[in-house]
Amino acid sequence: MISLHNISKSFGAFAALHDIDLTVRDGEFLALLGPSGSGKTTLLRIIAGLAFPDEGHVRFNGEDVTDLPVAERKVGFVFQQYALFKHMTVLDNIGFGLSVRRRAQRPAKSKIRARARELLDLVQLDGLGDRYPAQLSGGQQQRVALARALAVEPQLLLLDEPFGALDAKVRKELRRWLRQLHEQMRLTSIFVTHDQEEALELADRVVVLNRGVIEQIGTPEEVYMAPRSGFVSGFVGDCNSLPVTVRGNRAQFDGITIDVPVERSFDGPARLDFRPHDVAPSERDVGLPLQVSGVYRRGGSWRVEGSVNGSGPLAEIDLDADHAPPQIGSRLAFTITRARVFPIEERAR
Amino acid sequence: MSARLPHRSARARRALIALALAFIGFFLVLPLVAVFAEALAKGLATYGTALVEPDAVSAIKLTLLVAAISVPLNVVFGLCAAWAVAKFDFRGKSVLVTLIDLPFSVSPVVAGLVYVLLFGAQGWFGPWLVDHGVRIIFAVPGIVLATILVTFPFVARELIPLMQEQGRADEEAALALGATGFKTFLRVTLPNIRWGLLYGVLLCNARAMGEFGAVSVVSGHLRGLTNTMPLHVEILYNEYNFVAAFAVASLLALLALVTLVLKTSLEWKFGYGRGSAK
Repeated sequence: MISLHNISKSFGAFAALHDIDLTVRDGEFLALLGPSGSGKTTLLRIIAGLAFPDEGHVRFNGEDVTDLPVAERKVGFVFQQYALFKHMTVLDNIGFGLSVRRRAQRPAKSKIRARARELLDLVQLDGLGDRYPAQLSGGQQQRVALARALAVEPQLLLLDEPFGALDAKVRKELRRWLRQLHEQMRLTSIFVTHDQEEALELADRVVVLNRGVIEQIGTPEEVYMAPRSGFVSGFVGDCNSLPVTVRGNRAQFDGITIDVPVERSFDGPARLDFRPHDVAPSERDVGLPLQVSGVYRRGGSWRVEGSVNGSGPLAEIDLDADHAPPQIGSRLAFTITRARVFPIEERAR
Repeated sequence: MSARLPHRSARARRALIALALAFIGFFLVLPLVAVFAEALAKGLATYGTALVEPDAVSAIKLTLLVAAISVPLNVVFGLCAAWAVAKFDFRGKSVLVTLIDLPFSVSPVVAGLVYVLLFGAQGWFGPWLVDHGVRIIFAVPGIVLATILVTFPFVARELIPLMQEQGRADEEAALALGATGFKTFLRVTLPNIRWGLLYGVLLCNARAMGEFGAVSVVSGHLRGLTNTMPLHVEILYNEYNFVAAFAVASLLALLALVTLVLKTSLEWKFGYGRGSAK
């Protein structure tokens, strides 16, 4: 189990992380999700021992490792651009961690090679052992980087934007494969990503970071369906926002009362967030009017873009593709079936 | 590509090339030919004699000694400086980078005079040195010091941009895999920079052997004792001993040519100088 207590870190005047508390359970697949500059990579590097916090503690299984350098933490780290050693073959790359051990703990050369071959099989690259990194595709390099990290049998696998440099198809394959590997090797894994889809698909739990602060920790379902802040709501998944005024548990937009329950009791200006799929088409004069400005197919539904109430903010809604798509320039009406309301101050934070 | 150029610009191109060739021919090739022609003017035997004459031999030995001391020190310094600048963030980094370049912008004569000022008989440490019987100025240590000062940017200047471009990820990966700092340097950093390092060493060596100004100030021109090859050439020339002067000079010219060939083959083979250094 990994636990972080009150971690803070600044670079000069820039506060990269502020008072982070986090517990990672054994066997968990955890995503650190946030926009660039949110502190997610810094947090990962602090867990690895590649960076050190100004304040706070890092514990592995109760043991304080805050000041231990990376070499002594027994973690596997996969770098964003893989950082493969260009002058070594794939097998030498994978065997590196074993070959730099102190003589007493270092396996024989033949054993290291055998182990490297095993790992190469594991990452499904058998036969490519004598190539150099430059002769591999991006996805293959990624696998080599992973095999190299796993060679030292880490308790913890850390991945910095593991799929960032890959094209969409390879990315999807590798995701699934990584998830399998995680289960198979009973690893505890933490990965950093700015791609919310990746985080939701892959992780057991998602930590949403923004400006050095944790906005929410939860399962993908919780983070998507019950975002705790306006930031999470806007960052995770597609989201429409309407400026509304809340009065007596009712939200009003442009004089139209939106018929959704407002859970929190506050009066005043607020932001109402709803997802494109949380709408239903309605009769004219019921719900919100939408002036259609664009339509395209998105899987089994039409993604309809338009401005709410003619001149209002832009919104995207999904309509069933069994029906004909609405004409551009036409007006339609919809009701919101599920929404969340955040006081306007949250947005300014 | 050239086929698509309009006629007039093709002519302009030919004119420019001709101009460049004429320039190079006049300023580089002609003097080089002259050196060898003059050196061999009285036949191979005279040429050989000029090179095995005791003063010439001692000048060659001293030059090799100076290079053998200053180049390795330069490598150590260059590695340390480049490592510090590229892999760490600290206050005064840009000042350090500027200071490293100083010997390039300062006249070598000044570099020599600095040591006379410090270690000469009338210098700051002069009396103390005299009392303890240590000679630096007009002796080999002074020549070595002056050469080090003049050459010290070479390796660092090659390595700093290279190491900055490569970043820290490779080293961090090695450390994360459990390697010690020393093993990381030996097995990851050094192979990454080896061609850049070799390139720096070549240039540094050429300068160390060919330096005239700084060395001239501190050497004292003692024949057979403190004369390096460039100084020896000057003395012979001043004595109207042209064949001998050009014979020794031809060795320096050869050094330049060999350096050039090695440097070009490095560039050609590894694409070094175009940003990639595999």
